Parts: sequence; C-alpha cells; structure tokens
Amino acid sequence: MKNLVRALRTQRNMAQGQLAEAMGVSRQTINSIETGRYTPSLPLALALARYFGVTVEEMFDDQGA
Amino acid sequence: MIKERSQAICRSRWFTPLICVAAGIVMFAVSWLGGQFAGGLISFAILAAFGLVILLLTGRSETVRGLTVGRDERFAQLDLRATAVSGMVVLLAALVAWLVATARGQSGSPYGWLLAVGGLAYLVAFAFFRWRG
Repeated sequence: MKNLVRALRTQRNMAQGQLAEAMGVSRQTINSIETGRYTPSLPLALALARYFGVTVEEMFDDQGA
Repeated sequence: MIKERSQAICRSRWFTPLICVAAGIVMFAVSWLGGQFAGGLISFAILAAFGLVILLLTGRSETVRGLTVGRDERFAQLDLRATAVSGMVVLLAALVAWLVATARGQSGSPYGWLLAVGGLAYLVAFAFFRWRG
C-alpha cells in the first residue's frame, strides 16, 4: 500500500531505526511499510499517524494499492 | 503477572538456545535408552551447535532477532505463514507416504494417524478461533 511514511520520516531527518524504536517494531518492518510490501496492522497504522500528526487516511493510500 | 513473566522469559536471548540444548538432552537420553548412544550424542551436538549459532547471531542479525527475541507484528505474521506452509508440507508428505505405503500393500498406519491428527487439529483450531471471534 502506498504511503507517506518515508516522506514524513525524512522530513524529520529520522533514520528507519529511530522510527522503528519509537514504534516498537524492527527496522525491517519500517522498511517494508515504506516500500509498500507490508501493510501494517490498525494499531501500528494509528501509532504512525499519531506520531507524525496526520490522519491514517492522509498517511495511507488504499486507492493506489 | 504470570503472562508478563513468561513473555519476559521468552524474550530473553538465552531462551531459544536453552530450548535447543534441552531438546538435545532429551534426544540424547531417549537415544541412549534405545541403545543408540552415538546417534544420541550426534543429535545433541547438532542441536547444541544450532543453539550456539542462534545465540551468536541474535545480537547481529535483525532477522534472527525477529525469529527469537524481537518478534514484532510483521515477524509474527511471517511466523504464522511459515507455520502454515510447514504444516501443509508435513501433511502433504504424510499423504504421499500413506498413498505409497497403501499401494504397496502395507498398512500405512503411522501416516494415516498423522493425517487424522492434522485434519482434526485444523478443524478444532478453526472452530476455536471462530468462537473466539
């Protein structure tokens, strides 16, 4: 699923590992989400959206999936 | 409290290696009882070496860490899929073995039991998880 995770992360000058630590997941999981290979669970999607201060709809694009 | 403590134990980097060593000891003891001392020793050595490799790689490889101590939701999903695939492979192997044994005029008994247990376990698990919602 297309998403803005990478864009929002790089905007904050964060490494994947830092975001992974903040979300309590592995760096590989963040990488998989960013490349669209893995669709996160609802709790993780909500946590990511809350962390970056956007809505889930803004962060994830299910139309382009 | 008990759940948290058991989760903490499972998250320890020593958990999987110690399970490997414990399994090796059990295999060694059973083989020894069956009169196969050397075979048991080899089984123990293989499992202990595997445990050592896991222990050494846990600190270096994120993949190994995901398989052992640092399992997040994606690794849990991968684990579930891998378990399903390995279960299907085992059942398929048992089915082929049962067919071959039956075609040769043998009883095919252990394979038939395995297939029955596998099928029954699937149905019970399906019903349980449907009930749990």
